[in-house]
Order: sequence, then structure tokens, then C-alpha cells
Amino acid sequence: MVNPLHTYDLLKSIVQLSATPLPIHVRLDRMLQSVSAAFQLDRCFLLRPEKIIEDGFLSRLVSEKKPLWVEEGTSFRKENVLPEEEGLLCPTFACIPLYDETSFQGMLYIGFSKPYHFSPQEVELLLLMGEAMMGTIRNDHLHQKAEETISELTAFYEMGKAVASTLKLGNLFQLIVTTGLKILKAKGGVLRVEDKKTRELEVKWSVGDYHQYPLDEKIARRVFFTQTPLSLNHPGEENLSFSMLCAPFLSKGKILGTLAFYDKDSDSSKFDERDFQLFQMITNQLSFAIENALTHYEISNMAQENEKRVAQLSSLWEFNKALLTTVNFERILQLTLTAITIGEGLKFNRAMLFLVNEKNRTLEGAMAVGPDSAEEAGRIWAALSQRQGTLSDQITQLNPQGHSALNAIVKGIQISLEQGQCILSRTVLEGKPFNIPSSQSKEGRLQTQCERGCHLGSEVGCYVSEHLSRDPKVYSFATVPLMGKGGIIGVILVDNLYNQNPITEKDIHFLSMFSNQAGLAIENAILYRNLEEVHQELKETQNLLIHREKMVALGELSNSIAHEIKNPLVSIGGFARRLYRAIPDDALEKRYTQTIMIEVARLEKILTDIFNYTHDESIAFKECNLRKILEDSLSMTQSRIDAGGVKLVKEFPEEIPQIHGDYHQLRQVFSNLIGNAYQSMKGQGMLSLRLHPIAKNGASFVRVEVEDTGGGIDPQNLHNIFNPFYTTRDSSLGLGLPIVHKIITSHRGQIEVDNQPGIGVNFIITLPASEKGRENRLKGAEADQ
Amino acid sequence: MKKILVVDDEESIRFLYKEELEEEGYIVECAKNGEEALEKLVAFQPDLISLDIKMPVMDGIEALQRIREKERHLPIILCSAYGEYKQDLTTWASDAYVVKCADLTNFKSIIRKLLGLS
Repeated sequence: MVNPLHTYDLLKSIVQLSATPLPIHVRLDRMLQSVSAAFQLDRCFLLRPEKIIEDGFLSRLVSEKKPLWVEEGTSFRKENVLPEEEGLLCPTFACIPLYDETSFQGMLYIGFSKPYHFSPQEVELLLLMGEAMMGTIRNDHLHQKAEETISELTAFYEMGKAVASTLKLGNLFQLIVTTGLKILKAKGGVLRVEDKKTRELEVKWSVGDYHQYPLDEKIARRVFFTQTPLSLNHPGEENLSFSMLCAPFLSKGKILGTLAFYDKDSDSSKFDERDFQLFQMITNQLSFAIENALTHYEISNMAQENEKRVAQLSSLWEFNKALLTTVNFERILQLTLTAITIGEGLKFNRAMLFLVNEKNRTLEGAMAVGPDSAEEAGRIWAALSQRQGTLSDQITQLNPQGHSALNAIVKGIQISLEQGQCILSRTVLEGKPFNIPSSQSKEGRLQTQCERGCHLGSEVGCYVSEHLSRDPKVYSFATVPLMGKGGIIGVILVDNLYNQNPITEKDIHFLSMFSNQAGLAIENAILYRNLEEVHQELKETQNLLIHREKMVALGELSNSIAHEIKNPLVSIGGFARRLYRAIPDDALEKRYTQTIMIEVARLEKILTDIFNYTHDESIAFKECNLRKILEDSLSMTQSRIDAGGVKLVKEFPEEIPQIHGDYHQLRQVFSNLIGNAYQSMKGQGMLSLRLHPIAKNGASFVRVEVEDTGGGIDPQNLHNIFNPFYTTRDSSLGLGLPIVHKIITSHRGQIEVDNQPGIGVNFIITLPASEKGRENRLKGAEADQ
Repeated sequence: MKKILVVDDEESIRFLYKEELEEEGYIVECAKNGEEALEKLVAFQPDLISLDIKMPVMDGIEALQRIREKERHLPIILCSAYGEYKQDLTTWASDAYVVKCADLTNFKSIIRKLLGLS
């Protein structure tokens, strides 16, 4: 029988234990010890539900929810007792199942090794003990649950705090995986988001290397397409066994991606139902955050894109505004290239412009803008950064850099459009831009082919790499076609030689937009320039026509006068000769008559000149040698030169192409020029005769120079020298140079006057070589090769 | 003595040529246009004709053609103030073409050559 004092101690100890903050198993253990001590029990323990074997007598007690008392004088049937349970069968024992409202929590067992009888107070006390233990267990469960709820709430709070802290996608993905990892105590995790373009799931963030396991992606795709969360505990082989949770991010019925976690980072390596629920709650909560972040990302991308577009359009507008300020061809080229290189514009280091020459089927360098050295580049950029104002203000204020070495190189470049391997001609022929990153690239190999396949100086690959760069190996550049209304009118070449910035496809795109604008402006400027040239030509032709009309009228008048005068002059001269012969040699009249004869002869010469000038004498065109004509023309003056103080210099090369012309007329030309030169020097000076073959626009010409040191022509009179009857010499009628001009023009030649007042004058005559002469020259050139 | 018919509309020229040629020992008869020349051709029977081109009534070119119809081998010298008819095909029927000049040396030597005297 339990001592009442013991009962008091027992109740006191139980009450105290149920209120202590000790771990549950310590408290229960101590409670059992107190019970054991109070009842002086031989055995006393608490069986956990999992220790109860099915179909045994204990499990029957659990299902019946009734305590069992086996004491002295009671019978106990052993047939239901399993062999494992037989150890519990003491002479006296009791089993008290512990139930709360819903579930079975354990079985309190007490046993005596000798027969004993429970008094009603003892039964009541033991049942009370059972309830106390049950209460302790329940409280502990409640406490655990509360703690779990708190930890879940903390997890949600942390996750919420984390996802609210950023809208940056990268950061958000990292936070989701790392926080999820912490909450679920997992070893690894992967976050995937669908790429809208490719419709593929892309790994955005991962911890651990699980995502490399092929099964992982399969599971993720399955979860993504079924939109159903998955909890998987794969038993598999030793190495392959894993536990996994995977769930989709769903927002407003739309699927965004998947989140997966792997393997518990604790002793129990599998995720349980609670983890799965928690995980689903997390993914549901996060879907909104991810959708928001994705939307934010898209919007900010669009905003950036729009901002860039606005900047580009504004640059284009500014550029157009600048282009409207002029129709001058050179100025428009200058503005275009400046806009391409200026910091407010396209920011390329250097820009070069080539234009198509349709007549020759070539591409010719027109202009280049850019520093000649890195030092100059630094200086220019520093100065430009100080400048204020809009792009249009800046580019219109900049002065041309016509003197730059780059400009000179580019202006000297001429490439045949048939050079299919050259990148510049390819840009024109194919009508598309080229971005050549470096000589190692696929496109860059074209340069090597160029170097092998082209004649020196006739292609661009070599020019671009050899002439435009310090180190051809690292040289990269881009070309875009220049579009006009009717097609491609040229090419723009750009590079970043000094800062080595890469040229992106976006740069090329913008440059193309730019070049389209520039192409139209350049084409207009070319048209305007042509119009001006044609206008100028028309003006000159009009002046020439007026002049010719005057000449025709003057010619007709002179012709009729010449005819009327000639016959009387012949008879005057004729009779003067008769008189001269009749008069004795010593008579004074003989000299009078001689004067009449001389003057008549002079008048006859003048009339013949007038006649020749006003008549289009048919020319007897033949193959002529200008060297012979010059020698023959010189013969008339040669004797006077030899006698006086004029020095004669002749530069006649051995080989000179034949020309097609009239020997007599050409002889008249050079006799006139040599005679004029001789007379201008008044017996003192140097007469130079030079003869040389030249080539112009692919055709062959012969050039003759007749230069004197006779003081030149007064600039005031220069424009009159080819007008008939204009002379500064008393003894001249003024038909010499007009006849020279007329004959040279009828020979399809050109006459230039290099006049140096105070020094002398050089008449430069250029005559086309005859077909035969050209052929001979060509043969000669081939033979030379 | 060789006979020369001088045809020219300018009296002073006719006078000059007559004086000069007679001094050379020729018998000279003059006509002032082509028509008169054709008339005198039969009566005078010249050995050579000097024929001006630009003349009234009948010019030298027409006279040349008419004379050639009758006298195929009679030497005829065409004279003009300038060389403007040099390329004219109709003048090719003449034996010589002379540009008039105060100095008659060339003219006289051509006559001698045509008459076979030099």
C-alpha cells in the first residue's frame, strides 16, 4: 500500500516535472522514476506507439482504449500474448494506454515481481499518473508544433524580406535558392525559368551540382509541363539515391519556371510530407515575386531600349539638321564623317568615305576624318569634351582637317569594283555591311587573299591593314554601303584604332541608319555639284557662241574686204615691180618704189592670214611626228637665235607617240609660238622647247611646251590673247595666237598659258596621240614588262 | 611667138599681165569675162589661157568647162585672189592653180613650164 506521504511526494514531483522546461524524454523518465519509487515497483516504463507490436495483447488494449489490471486473484489469458510480449507478464502488472482526444501516445506499464493487489486509491493514482504523462506529452507536442509554426513563419518572413529586398533578377534568384535551402535544410537547389524566345527551361541559379544530373532536367520539364509539384524519394542504387522536391512557379495560370531542392542536410536524408507542404507554400508565395521581377526586368529592358532609340533618333535628327545647312559636296562629306567620329555621335575613332565612279567602275577615296596618332587622338578628344552644345552645333563648328595624313592616304586609294575579294568593293557589290573583328576571323581571311591576289595598291585589304593600322594583326574595322536613291553610291569604313573598342552589331545597325541619311545628302550634293558644273559649262558655251557669232560676222566682213582689196593690191605691187625694174639703180625713186613693193607684200601676207582665219580650210590629217614639226618650225628662227643672245634649250625624248594632224597647220602653230617667244625676249633670254608623252584618264597624249623669259603677259591682257586683231606689238595684226588656238582646237587639243608676269610665259599644248601612236606605246609598255 | 589669152574682170590686172607677159615675148590678148574669152578663142587661137575665177557674166569655172569642151589640150591656168578653190573638184580640169600675187615670178615660170619653154 502506498504511503500517503509518498502519494503527496509523488503528486508534488509530477506537478513540478510537468512544469519544468526539461526535454520531454527527461521529464517522462523522471516521472517514471517517481512512480516507481512511490509504488516500489520492480518495472516501470512507457512504451512508445511504434513499440507496440500488432496483433499482440498490447495492441488489443490500444484498440480497446482500456487499461489492464492483472493482480492477485485475477485471471489473465495468455493466448493473445506474442512471444515478444511474454517478458511483460509479471505476477502483477498494469498497462494504461495514454490517449489524448485524437491519438494514442504510448502505454504506461508497471510490474511487480510478487503478487500484489491494487487498492481503488492506487488505481485512481496510477490513472492520474497516466493522464499527467499524457498531458506532458500533449503539451510537448503543442510546444513543438508552436515552434514549428514559428519557424515556418520566420522562414516565410525571411523569404518575404529577401524577395522584397530586390527587383534584380540575379539577386532574387540567388536569394530564393539560398533561403529555400536554409528553410528546408536541403543540400542543393536549382531554379529554372522559361526563356520566352527559345521556350526552353534555363538554369538561373543553382547550389550544388545536382542540375548536372540528367534526371534532374527531366523531372523539372515534367513538373513544368504538368504544372504539378513533385516529391520524389528515389531509393535506387547507393550512389543514385536521392530525395527531391520540385514545384512549378505559377502566376495567374501562367507557368514561369520550376524550383527544386535536393536531399536533407540532416540525418534523415529524405524530405517528409511537412517539408513538401512547406516547399509548395514557398513556391506559391514566390511566384508573384518572380513574376513581378520578370516584368520589372522586361520593362526596364524596354525602357533602356527606348532610351537608346530616342538617343539614336535624336542624333539622326541632329545630323539631318546639320546636313540641311549646306549643299556643298565637300562640306557634306565632312559633316557625315565628323558625325560618325564625334563623341556625341557614333564615337568611332576614324571614318573614311569612298565613292563609286560608275564611268571607270572603280571605288575612289573621297575623304577621311580621324587623328593621325594616338597622341593627337587624346588631344582632340580632350578638347571635344570641353565643347558645349548640341551635336548639330558641334559638327557644324568643327573645321575641316584636309591636311591630315589619313585624308591624303584615303584620297589616293582607287580600287576596281571587279576586285571581288576586296572588302570595300564587296560592300558595294553585295550591298551589305561587313564587321571585320580581326585578321584571325573568317571574314578577316579575305585580307590574306587580297594580299595574294591583288596587284599592289589596287585593293583594300592591303590598304586597310597595311596602311591604316600600326599593327595589322590586331586591326579590326567595319564597312557599310552608302545608299543613294538609285542604288549604292559608296562605302563608309570605320575603325577604333586608338581605343580598340569592339565594334558591335548594334553599332553597325546605327551606322547603317546614319549612312542611309548621308547617302541621300551626298547624292543630292553630287547632283547639285553636277548641276553647277553644267550651269558653268552652259555659261561658258553661251559666251563662246556669242564670241563665235561675233567672229563669224567679223570674218564675213574681213573676207569681203580682203577680196575687194586683193586685186588692186596685186596690180599696185605688180606695177611697182615694173617701175622698180625700169628705174636706174642710182635714182632716188628706186627706193620709193621698193617701199611700195615691201608694204604691198606685207599687206598681201595680212590678207592671206585673214583669209586663212576666216576660212575653215580642210585639214589634211596624217600621222605626224611632232618632233619633226618642232624642228622644222624652229628652222625659220634658228639662224636668228644662233646669231643673237638667246639661248635655246630643247628637251626632246627619243620615243614620242605619233599624232594625227595636218603638218602645215601644226608647223604654222609652232612657228607662230616660237616667233612670238623670240620676239618677246628682244635678243636676250632663254627659249625652252619641251616635248613629252603623258597619260590622262587612261588615254595617251603628247605635250609640247614653248617657254620664254620675255617678261610674260600683262595679266590685264591675258584674257584677250586669243581674240583676233588683238596685239601689243605695232608690227603685228594680232592673228597669230587666234590662229594657233583655232588650229589646236580643230586638232582636238588643248592650249594652256602658264603666265608669270615679269618673268616669262609658257604655252603648253596637249594633243591626243593617234590610235597608231597609242598602240605603239602600249606595245612598248608590254615589251618593257 | 606663143599667144596667151588673159581673162580677168579687173582692168588693172589685165593691163599688168599684158605688160609683163609681152615683155617676156608673148603675144597677149585680153578678155574681161568668160563669155568674151570664148568669143576670142576662135579668132585668137591662144597657146595658153590665164583664167580668173571670180568674174561677172561668166565666171572662170564655167568658162573652163566650156573651153575644155572644144580645146581638150589647151593649157589653162586658173587664178584667184586666195586659195579658196584649191580643193574644188571643178578646178581640177585646169593645168595649174595660182594665187594672185604682186610678184609674178611664180606665175611666169608656170607659164613657161606649161608651154614647154623652160
